[in-house]
Amino acid sequence: MIRFVAIRVARACLTILLVVTFAFVVLRLSGDPALLIMSPDAPAEAIAAFRHAYGLDRPIWQQYLHYFGAIMHGDLGQSMRDGRPALSLVAERIPATLVLTVTALVLKVGIGIPAGIFAALHRRGWIDRAVMALATAGFTVPSFVLGLVLVLVFSVQLRWLPSGGQESWRSVILPVITLGAGGAAILARFTRSAMLEVLGQPYIRAASAKGLPWGAVVRRHALPNAAIPTVTIVGFMVGSLIAGAVVVESVFSWPGVGRLLVIAVSNRDLAVVQTILLLVASTMVMSNLVVDLLYGVLDPRLRAVHK
Amino acid sequence: MIMPHLPRRALLAVTGLAAIPRFAIGQSNERPVITVAVQKISNSNTLDFLREQSNVGTRLSTLFTERLIDLDYQGQLKPKPGLAIAWRRIDDKTVELDLRRGVKMHNGDEFTALDVAASFSPARMFGDTRPTVQGKTLPLTGAMVTTARTKVLPPEIPPVARRFWPALDRVEIVDKYTVRFANATPDVTLEGRLSTTSSGIISGRAFDEAASWLDYARAPVGTGPYKIREYRPDNMLILDAHDEYWGGRPPIRTLRIVEVPEVSGRVNGLLAGEYQFACDIPPDQISQIERNPGYEVQGGTIPNMRITTFDKTHAQLRDPRVRQAMTHAIDRTTIVESLWGGRTIVPAGLQWPFYDQMYVPGWTVPEFDPAKARGLLKDAGYKGDPIPYRLLSNYYTNQVANAQVLVEMWKGVGLNVEIGMKENWTQIFERSPTRGIHDWSNSASFNDPVSSIVSQHGPNGEQQQYGEWTNAEMNTLSVEMETSTDRPRRHAIFGRMLMICEREDPAYTVLHQTATFTAKPKSIKWKAAPTFAMDFRANNWG
Repeated sequence: MIRFVAIRVARACLTILLVVTFAFVVLRLSGDPALLIMSPDAPAEAIAAFRHAYGLDRPIWQQYLHYFGAIMHGDLGQSMRDGRPALSLVAERIPATLVLTVTALVLKVGIGIPAGIFAALHRRGWIDRAVMALATAGFTVPSFVLGLVLVLVFSVQLRWLPSGGQESWRSVILPVITLGAGGAAILARFTRSAMLEVLGQPYIRAASAKGLPWGAVVRRHALPNAAIPTVTIVGFMVGSLIAGAVVVESVFSWPGVGRLLVIAVSNRDLAVVQTILLLVASTMVMSNLVVDLLYGVLDPRLRAVHK
Repeated sequence: MIMPHLPRRALLAVTGLAAIPRFAIGQSNERPVITVAVQKISNSNTLDFLREQSNVGTRLSTLFTERLIDLDYQGQLKPKPGLAIAWRRIDDKTVELDLRRGVKMHNGDEFTALDVAASFSPARMFGDTRPTVQGKTLPLTGAMVTTARTKVLPPEIPPVARRFWPALDRVEIVDKYTVRFANATPDVTLEGRLSTTSSGIISGRAFDEAASWLDYARAPVGTGPYKIREYRPDNMLILDAHDEYWGGRPPIRTLRIVEVPEVSGRVNGLLAGEYQFACDIPPDQISQIERNPGYEVQGGTIPNMRITTFDKTHAQLRDPRVRQAMTHAIDRTTIVESLWGGRTIVPAGLQWPFYDQMYVPGWTVPEFDPAKARGLLKDAGYKGDPIPYRLLSNYYTNQVANAQVLVEMWKGVGLNVEIGMKENWTQIFERSPTRGIHDWSNSASFNDPVSSIVSQHGPNGEQQQYGEWTNAEMNTLSVEMETSTDRPRRHAIFGRMLMICEREDPAYTVLHQTATFTAKPKSIKWKAAPTFAMDFRANNWG
């Protein structure tokens, strides 16, 4: 088990290193932050002073070594827009994003999984068809389209809810629905498929044949076995909690990490972009690690393999 | 159930009242809270107008800071008294100004000459730079008035400040209400430079007391009609009325500037009644908004021109006749009518009426003449080789559509122009054989050609700095323009510069004047200024 965890942690570190290195090279080669942050109208002396202040006038390999050394000392650099530490800039946006993404995750899991189970248990019935039709609509409609439709109906026409911003709890409702709809639809489809596969297995027939009530068969035998693919998807969703709302935050003018990422990328605010990527990669890697460990809990056969 | 009897007229009155937005009801008893939705509050996450050199910075800075010499925002941007009530020339290098008395700053201090000196001090503006003219450092003739150096300026501030004040030597305090701006070289544009947003006045004490430069820059203390209560970068700026404002009690109790990056978000929020103003409305949205009878879109031209620039080092563009042909192949009126709905104009070259005596009457952009364009190409021996056109995706309003129209117009006279989409300005300016033409915009920060054609196409301008274009005569004239005090001669020089840059050896060609639009309910009586600045003073409300 220790070896299993150690291999995954090492793989996770390598993934984070690759992500950070790739982002560093791509961002530095595709645009000059001085020109982007200060505008093309800035005097040449001002651009030169800016480049010098942030070390952009040095060779890229020197910049990389400096950046990597600083990371090792816990320094993620400063935003080139206003000189503030990138980490604190990102950290103060995280709560706003988590309000959306965690609430949306609850919505996805709370609606998607029961809907998938329900549809599977009523296979080929009208409930199954209705749930699947809704699920197909849910993940085929792009979030920005759904967001705009919701705003037009509930903000412009009915004036029930705010169209954007972060003014009160009411501001959360439309972005969370927009963010949650697609995820709930995906979970519903995956859960249904997994359930249908499990329900066709001989051990389900055996459990029924020995006289167990159908509810107990589903609870004790079908659900745990169908959980693995669903847990994998939920793991991905947990991994994208930090920056999984880029589009929705832009549509609803929500001041979270997603919007900060868009602004930072367009300005080539390197330290901020890299800090966000580092957090996203770390969250995703941690989430995958937890999912891997959960597999062992859910499926005893996997535990046996790693013993 | 008994229904109370209501006459028809009374019923209409009651329902009519219900339809009036909440802010209007409050206006009779107390001043309203107004929300303005903008695409961007500040690009730099600061409110310091030297750091925030952008149109969005200009829009808001005049709410909380003022200049010694103001501009007539409800007229033609003519200079008018601001924090100075009068000014006079001491000599061709020095301007003396009488300051307005009894002006209260946002922190309760009285505005005096000390604040002017602090605003133009090395600690705030110039750092260790010295006056320069065309790259030459001049000897200082006196000491700048300094405040305690309590903080470190961002490195780009002094060069930016020197762009606006290249040869300012010192600010002298004559007495509590009189100051002198002394230049190191003769300069007839000192008064114009005092009217730019970069010459806003801040409280010297507040600057000194701020814990860091960023603390100051997040909440500058000025004399403007509104004072900053809270600034949340990329999100919201909240300003309260400065009730002791010398120009009269501000009409709005609280101004909330909210950042809404998407056009649809700004328009929907306006129609939902959440915002009273939606800024940065593209022309194609205007008719949609005005379809609602309660709303209108205001605005129009501002002191900025959309231009297309030429890289004369490119093999196909070396011959000026090819560039001349390009300027004659453009039907600018069609662009203005089709892409802008006629809401902007084709100007008379890179100049604005507020140049006043420096304006060159009778000057026009090159006329649309396809036959002439074809003739020029034939004379130049142009064989149809491709000319690259580096293009950003709608950095400017209508940019891509405009580029597609231009390419077709050029194709019509035999020019083979190929669009190459680029992501950012670094890729636009990158020196390589594929750099041919690109889009740009030019502003005039004050009422003299030094602020536009010299600043942007002269020897220190971006076009020459990036190696796209140069012209020996233009460079000689630029130096003379900056230092000459002979006004008729300067006027003649400007005319010659237009001839060089727009006709003989085209550096650029002007397409149209830039316009900006703001949507609002018709019930709000407010007028957009012919600039990015938003004027929410008492004389522009109600």
